[in-house]
Amino acid sequence: MSAIPAVPAAAPADGRDVSRPVPFLRAARAVFDLSLEGMVWSRRSLLMILLLGLPAPLALVFRTFITRLPPRVGAFDFYGVVIAFYYVRNALPLAALFYATALIADEVEGKTITYLLTRPIQRVSVLAGKFAAYLATTLALALPAVVLTFFLLTTIRGWTGVGALVPDLFRDMGVVVLTLVTYGAFFTLMGVLLRRPVIPGLLFLFVWELLANAPGYLPRFTITAYLRSLIHHRPPDEGLAEIFAQVLPTALCLEAVGGMIVVFLAAAAWIFSNREYVLDQ
Amino acid sequence: MTATLEYVRASRWYGPVIALNDVTTTVGPGVTGLLGPNGAGKSTFLKLAAGQLAPSQGEVRVLGRPAWGSPELFHRVGVCPEPDAFWEGLTGFQFLMALLRLTGFDDAECRRRAEQALEQVALTEARDRKIGGYSKGMRQRIKMAQSLAHDPQVLLLDEPLSGMDPVNRRRIVDLVKKLGREGRTVLVSSHILHEVEAMTRRVLLIHNGRILAEGDVREIRDLMDEHPHTVALRARDPRALARAVVGSTHVLSLTFGAEGEWVTVQTARPDEFYSSVVDAAVEAGVSEMYSPDENLESVFKYLVAR
Repeated sequence: MSAIPAVPAAAPADGRDVSRPVPFLRAARAVFDLSLEGMVWSRRSLLMILLLGLPAPLALVFRTFITRLPPRVGAFDFYGVVIAFYYVRNALPLAALFYATALIADEVEGKTITYLLTRPIQRVSVLAGKFAAYLATTLALALPAVVLTFFLLTTIRGWTGVGALVPDLFRDMGVVVLTLVTYGAFFTLMGVLLRRPVIPGLLFLFVWELLANAPGYLPRFTITAYLRSLIHHRPPDEGLAEIFAQVLPTALCLEAVGGMIVVFLAAAAWIFSNREYVLDQ
Repeated sequence: MTATLEYVRASRWYGPVIALNDVTTTVGPGVTGLLGPNGAGKSTFLKLAAGQLAPSQGEVRVLGRPAWGSPELFHRVGVCPEPDAFWEGLTGFQFLMALLRLTGFDDAECRRRAEQALEQVALTEARDRKIGGYSKGMRQRIKMAQSLAHDPQVLLLDEPLSGMDPVNRRRIVDLVKKLGREGRTVLVSSHILHEVEAMTRRVLLIHNGRILAEGDVREIRDLMDEHPHTVALRARDPRALARAVVGSTHVLSLTFGAEGEWVTVQTARPDEFYSSVVDAAVEAGVSEMYSPDENLESVFKYLVAR
């Protein structure tokens, strides 16, 4: 060690405790505020409005032309397809892929990560604030579209009996939240782990996740098998899915999904906290 | 001297490339220039102190604590990074507010400090404009403002004058000197001797990842005077600028750039040149000024050979 004495740290006049980082929640809130605006007003969000909002205009079309469709196609069946196939299997995981992989990657690519990493905050609060902003943005886009689609489709023949279906709507909204959190956690991990996570993410969604329709224990190695089992009114499966698709017990699904969220987020936080971000000059 | 920054046998490599090689040195209060050509290891030296990189070997300490993995240090350390990178959609004021909130201040204190920092870098009038619409010099100044808004004891400034016009360059030089006089530790990197010399006489010379020399800048200056100094200026009216400076005895040659906006001047007396160019620069609308580092490179070659 150098024999030269270190300069003593001067206590600031404003009375802040400078011996510790800014408290976690306060720092995460500041990161959330900073990230939210950038996320909401991004080109990515325009694309996501189209992607997540699409079922609402489709429901309008369905409402208009339902009388010309075969009698076996009911409005609630169509709603089931929208939730299970469109939202939970495709649109929400895609939204998670494009937002969550970019949480840190955008800052690294834009070289703004330095501003965040040279503040007296723990890195885990950066990740937490950004993840919360991702959830707020995607939920604000997805939930209104789900609710609108539900009411457009269930009120085609009037409001009678709609009340009995509302618990299903709440359950579906819960599944939407879980889908965004679970895939968001997974893609956040991919985003801090890989330099270019989008292609591997797409491969995961559209190749690996097909295992959900495989026989035996294989579906348990996917995310989607747990999430779709949580939906009450899934549409009838077709093809391979019709033969093999399993409905897993709700308790198991909730435990598995909860476990995945914790593991993915903890791993992402650990990697982000210990990684160097060397920016190209 | 008391040490604010301590490098103890610190090395850093990226794969097989050694960016910093077994450096042992200390930096104390006041302004210290970190001088070296591009690729010498200046940014790595600063990033180690800023806790952005961990040393591959050895130790780097700031205010007595390890720089890597001590986020609490940034209550008392301000960093002005080299990349010209911002959240472009934010206004200058919002940018400072956001970063001050991340430093733990309440909203009223953030507002007060943001306004004060904007005033220090003369950006008060542009506070509500989006950074995406700022000129290069304004962007440099807002970057500088974020590094000092929380009143840090240590400032790490990576090429803070890069691309700035002469008037703002003077303003930032004065500000850095003032911060040094106040007893803060200010480490400023640059590949331009004159820039460093304008701010301090204490320098660390870095080359190929090693500290080649440390001490008084005048020794380098003597070597430097043997090598003509090149300055490139971008002006709205390059001919007016040329007319204003071409008669000076310290200008050795002057050429116009291919695109018509640039004027390149060679001078044996950078001090006199920089002092005399301020008024002419304002009149000719100089928006950017930089100095290529070939001349500094030649001094380093001389020092290495010595």
